[in-house]
Amino acid sequence: MNFSGRGQWGALGTGGFVLLVLLVFLVIPVAKVIYVAFQHPDTGAFTLVNFIDFFNTSLFRESFYNSLYVAAMSVVVASLIAIPLAYFTTRFRFGAAALIQTLGVIPLIMPPFVGAVAMQMIFGANGTINLLLDEYFGFTLPFMEGLNGVILVEAIHYFPFILINLSASLANIDRSVEESAQNLGSYGFRLFRRIVFPLAMPGYAAGAALVFLKVFDDLGTPLLLNVNNMLAPQAYLRISSIGITDPMGYVISVILVGFSLFSLWVSYFVTRGKDYASLEKGGGGLGKRELGPWGRLGAWAVVLLILLIVLSPHIGLLLLSFGTIWSFSVLPDAYTLEHYREVFSTAMPYITNTLIYAGLAALLDVVLATAIAYIVWRTGLPGRQILDYLGTAAVAVPGVVLGIGYLRVFHDFQVPLVDEPLASWWVIIVVALMIRRLPYALRACTAALQQVSVTLEEAALNLGAGRFRTVRRIVVPLMAGGIMAGFVTSFATAAVELSATIMLVAAESDAPVAYGIYVYMQTAAGRGPGAALGVLAVLLVGVATYFSHRFVERSREVAEADRRLAVAQGA
Amino acid sequence: MSVRGMRWVVLAALGFAQAWSAPLSAQEIGDKLVVVTSFPKDLTNVFKQAFESKYPGMTVEMLKKKTTAGVKYIQETASNNTSDIFWASAPDAFEVLKGDGLLAKYEVRATGIPEKVGVFPINDPDGYYKGFAASGYGFMWNTRYLKAKKVPEPAEWEDLAEAVYFGHVGMSAPSRSGTTHLTVETVLQGLGWEQGWALWKRIGGNLKTVTERSFGVPSGVNSGQFGVGIVIDFFGFSSKASGYPVEFRYPSTTTLVPANIAIVANAPHPEAAAAFIEFVLSPEGQRLLLDPKIRRLPVRPEIYAEAPDLPNPFEGEIGATVAFDVKKSKARYNLVNSLFDVMITYRLDDLQAATKALHEAEAALAAEPDEEAAKLVARGWELVAALPIDEAKSLDPDFAGIFKKRRKKATDVVTGRQAEVEQEWDDFVRANYAEARELAEKALAMVR
Amino acid sequence: MNEHASSTAPPPARGVRTGPRAERLVIEGLRLSFGDNEVLKGVDLTIEPGEFFAFLGPSGSGKSTLLRAIAGFGPRPAGRILIGEEEVTAKPPWLRNVGMVFQSYALWPHMTVAKNVAFGLEERGVPKSEIAVRVRRALELVGLAEFADRRPSQLSGGQQQRVALARTLVVEPRVLLLDEPLSNLDANLRVQVRRELKQLQRRLGITTIFVTHDQEEANTTSDRMAVLEEGVIQQVGAPVELYDRPANLFVATFLGSANLIEGEVIADGGARLFSGRGGFRFPVADEEEEGRAHALFRPQTVHLGGPPGSAEEPGFFGFSGRVVRAEFLGMLVRYGIEVGGLELLVDEPHEPDRPILPEGSEVTGRIATRRIRILRA
Repeated sequence: MNFSGRGQWGALGTGGFVLLVLLVFLVIPVAKVIYVAFQHPDTGAFTLVNFIDFFNTSLFRESFYNSLYVAAMSVVVASLIAIPLAYFTTRFRFGAAALIQTLGVIPLIMPPFVGAVAMQMIFGANGTINLLLDEYFGFTLPFMEGLNGVILVEAIHYFPFILINLSASLANIDRSVEESAQNLGSYGFRLFRRIVFPLAMPGYAAGAALVFLKVFDDLGTPLLLNVNNMLAPQAYLRISSIGITDPMGYVISVILVGFSLFSLWVSYFVTRGKDYASLEKGGGGLGKRELGPWGRLGAWAVVLLILLIVLSPHIGLLLLSFGTIWSFSVLPDAYTLEHYREVFSTAMPYITNTLIYAGLAALLDVVLATAIAYIVWRTGLPGRQILDYLGTAAVAVPGVVLGIGYLRVFHDFQVPLVDEPLASWWVIIVVALMIRRLPYALRACTAALQQVSVTLEEAALNLGAGRFRTVRRIVVPLMAGGIMAGFVTSFATAAVELSATIMLVAAESDAPVAYGIYVYMQTAAGRGPGAALGVLAVLLVGVATYFSHRFVERSREVAEADRRLAVAQGA
Repeated sequence: MSVRGMRWVVLAALGFAQAWSAPLSAQEIGDKLVVVTSFPKDLTNVFKQAFESKYPGMTVEMLKKKTTAGVKYIQETASNNTSDIFWASAPDAFEVLKGDGLLAKYEVRATGIPEKVGVFPINDPDGYYKGFAASGYGFMWNTRYLKAKKVPEPAEWEDLAEAVYFGHVGMSAPSRSGTTHLTVETVLQGLGWEQGWALWKRIGGNLKTVTERSFGVPSGVNSGQFGVGIVIDFFGFSSKASGYPVEFRYPSTTTLVPANIAIVANAPHPEAAAAFIEFVLSPEGQRLLLDPKIRRLPVRPEIYAEAPDLPNPFEGEIGATVAFDVKKSKARYNLVNSLFDVMITYRLDDLQAATKALHEAEAALAAEPDEEAAKLVARGWELVAALPIDEAKSLDPDFAGIFKKRRKKATDVVTGRQAEVEQEWDDFVRANYAEARELAEKALAMVR
Repeated sequence: MNEHASSTAPPPARGVRTGPRAERLVIEGLRLSFGDNEVLKGVDLTIEPGEFFAFLGPSGSGKSTLLRAIAGFGPRPAGRILIGEEEVTAKPPWLRNVGMVFQSYALWPHMTVAKNVAFGLEERGVPKSEIAVRVRRALELVGLAEFADRRPSQLSGGQQQRVALARTLVVEPRVLLLDEPLSNLDANLRVQVRRELKQLQRRLGITTIFVTHDQEEANTTSDRMAVLEEGVIQQVGAPVELYDRPANLFVATFLGSANLIEGEVIADGGARLFSGRGGFRFPVADEEEEGRAHALFRPQTVHLGGPPGSAEEPGFFGFSGRVVRAEFLGMLVRYGIEVGGLELLVDEPHEPDRPILPEGSEVTGRIATRRIRILRA
């Protein structure tokens, strides 16, 4: 493309501003935290001795191994959950496919620590399942013991990442590609293994990498399950202990960030140049296969079993929220509405705060993400890739590290007019959520932008529209579906975020709902109301997600038609 | 003693003077108060509402943090402090903040509060933080659980070391929970360094889990994840009051310690903070502690008349026999935490395995005595109990300093690295646990 | 890569078996619906062994659905499909051994060309050593032996198509199905590839069905063809037969430009006359029944010029009119001639010394009446 001088200056200004935002709210706070890792604990001089200590400490080596093991196994379990759901709902004519896809995303909008409480009640050593097993069969299964519990909870929480990405890839595979294999004698699992799955590999790899990385960094779940021999808990325990400035916590933070970036890079490297989805278009179309009666029965059985497992935290939460006392028993002793009454009378500010924070954060995310995507893919700005890398790298920063970084950097900065330190002003929570969820929005917006033909922009420029007007009037409307998808993902996941916010909430009246649930769950009498608040949060985010989803679907249909037109014109 | 006596007189005089003046209104003390607290919502909400209705126009912000995180928060935000009050259980946490110069001195005007509860002084002798409620440590258990698993109710710390409790006990790590730290330190002071740790390791071997938060223990007992939890009394009382099938008991070796309140240095609303402390310590505020969801022991003896079911520590209804030495506790605070984590929290699997093997060998020996095998088992228990450092070393300020060093200025220099020391300890206990397990298996093989 | 150089006639290939396995395909009373929408409304058809057969029809006519039904794709149809002696109606696609080349070629982008071709053999459990040999032969057959290790994305459209063909032929299917195989190629290539296809089919002798919406493709390649519309076979026969003797208006117009005159057949004593709009009136065969009818004649059967009187010769229908348009198409000029309010299409061969008649010229013309077909529908 050709650049008018004015357009280039505009891009430069926007890019500079975005870079500034990322530097101030991501790079500097994180650097401020992790530089401690390179400081000699005795003298403060620059050193690598802390890293030597790390690898000389058997506990840390074990934690490192455990984190790797848990992350890898979580990917395996999450894949077992996500692959059948994605495959059956995208490649076959399957009743309720949309419902299953929606239900399949719900686990993502429940804070993992809330899920863990409910999972303990159901899968724990003396939970529903094991009490029943013990009574009728005389044995129990260690679902939730040690690392098993972490793997189970993480897999159930994060499998939607694989489901979403894999479904997108699967849905894009032309039917004729499958049919040609059937025509040559392939069917069933072999067909899936040899043709369908390899073609969906880019989506799967992206989802799996995300799961790996989130599990590797996740703090809340191991903490709640009292598993300490993993890296993230070790970092947190050491950073947040009374009166200690043990550098090992910061060393572990560096290793967490570094390793996450590494796995991100690996997944990028593995899938590079393998995006086949759009290669085979036409002919068979995207139609779905029919299932035979037995196949239908089998598929339903598998899907229902999986849904039962992945929704078990929600079932448990629902029981907790309506139950009076649930202690060492299969089900609660009795049921009541009291917990909801309590929540409605005292906890509504949490909900309002959450809507404001997550909404603002998601809005800022899509604005930033659109700007970054556009600058990276459509301008010739030197060094523009840095924006993409930084925006994506945010996914590798554990929430605790970001939270502590903000406290360190912004506490001495007094916000004008408000007369409060920036670190304890509620806006900082929005900023933290924005940075934490930017990678999701960035991914969605980049994908959307890549589907918009450059020729459409050129046409607008050719007709005399300036670059800014072209972006606003042509590019953004055509990206609407992707932008909305990014908004939804950012919003839904920001709404249940705890790890960064727990460090930053400076006043209870500013607290979001995840914090509220956490506070409730810290008292004997608060478990019921906490669960009720959790149910409300899930419902709220679920409904918001559902409506935005429908909006996305509708605009996607329009966008698809537009795109076909655009492609036809471009060709 | 004389200093404290003097203070008492001054306080009484001040309180007397204060009693004549009319209560302050919100206009005079400001309209906002920020409290950093580790207490649950059930407690904080009651006080928040009562205080706000006493001073119309006042808004109290209760900032919920775990004790450790609360300390961290106040440390991190000290340069531009926005908190007025730190309100938590563990006196140690207040000691840390006091040591960092982050608390403000305050003289209480209210009168009628004794100097000591049990053997523990209610207020900080240096005048930085005040006790507002007493708490003792003990165990709570899930009655359904114990019945189903045929486990007896515990009465003393030593009971929890028995084989019958293997896999049924839960506790929090002292590094994670200030109250648990007090429990650990109390037993160490009550039984002595060697004996105390030996008991903790026996109990440690029986642990089902070490929870990350102190509330994780009552939560686990309430839901039936494990049967017995080592907890502070109000967790037991409030769980029971909430309807859970649980009971609580104080063992004879316990200590009653006050839960505390203090004003943060450079508090933005000092008048409101002072008013809040006075309110909490007044009979009116103390009575709020009897709320069934709170159930903490008031520091005003006269309140007990209104709650006959609460044990009255001022009348010796709680056997708090240990004279808790705060200075000792403070000197090795981080060291004890780290030692517990290295020996028990992070090596729980190894410790459990050794304990299980030793229990099995002992059971076999009980059925068929064998002197040689008994010696092996005894040696095994010794290995489990063995400590990498003795008490003198734990109190050596240079050594303990490794665990709490803070370089205040860039020019400060401290020596020794915690990671190195911990790795030495880890090697030590791991080898011992492994050997103890081997010995137990050997003994078992001999008996069979 | 030079498309034309690499797609010249494939070298003679040995080894892909020819002839003996050619099978007859019989379709009886085939009905098929997507939900409430009946797409095939009773199809009966027999395709002889070794025949090159075309399904021709506009989009939505059901031709692709019929082809897919033969391969086993789509909803289960009513009726019967027999390949040779075997009924396959209820068999899943992977048990039919019917080779299909998809419109998009459907090559698997994650496999090399050789892997693509080997796939069907691997699925059939053919020994590895044999697979290598057969894959090489199949690629030689389509002239792509040297591209074995490429990825499909590195090939041109024509080459991709030949890989798809090799992939299908290597498993020695009983019937070869080609779904619009030329539609993704550019115009020059299309002519060349369809010749190659025909040659290959002749050499292999495999029963082949070719789906297309382009009558020129069907005409040039097929031995016989079926014209479909609205899920019904309109007519079956050799291309020439269909062109010259269409059974109905649809076939007539679909197979090429035609002049259609509305009118009726009336009795004129013992004989029959066609009387239509624009003054078209001429005798027709005595067997024609009276009633509404269309007269059909192709543009090239009309001849312009000649003395006015000659138009009245017996066996000819003469007319005069005015040129309203003239399109120069290279080998011929297509005129639009206004005659009595109708516009007739007239094709005149073009020769270098023959000027194109300007618009507005008055002309005369005539048609041999035996070339005019009377159609009822």
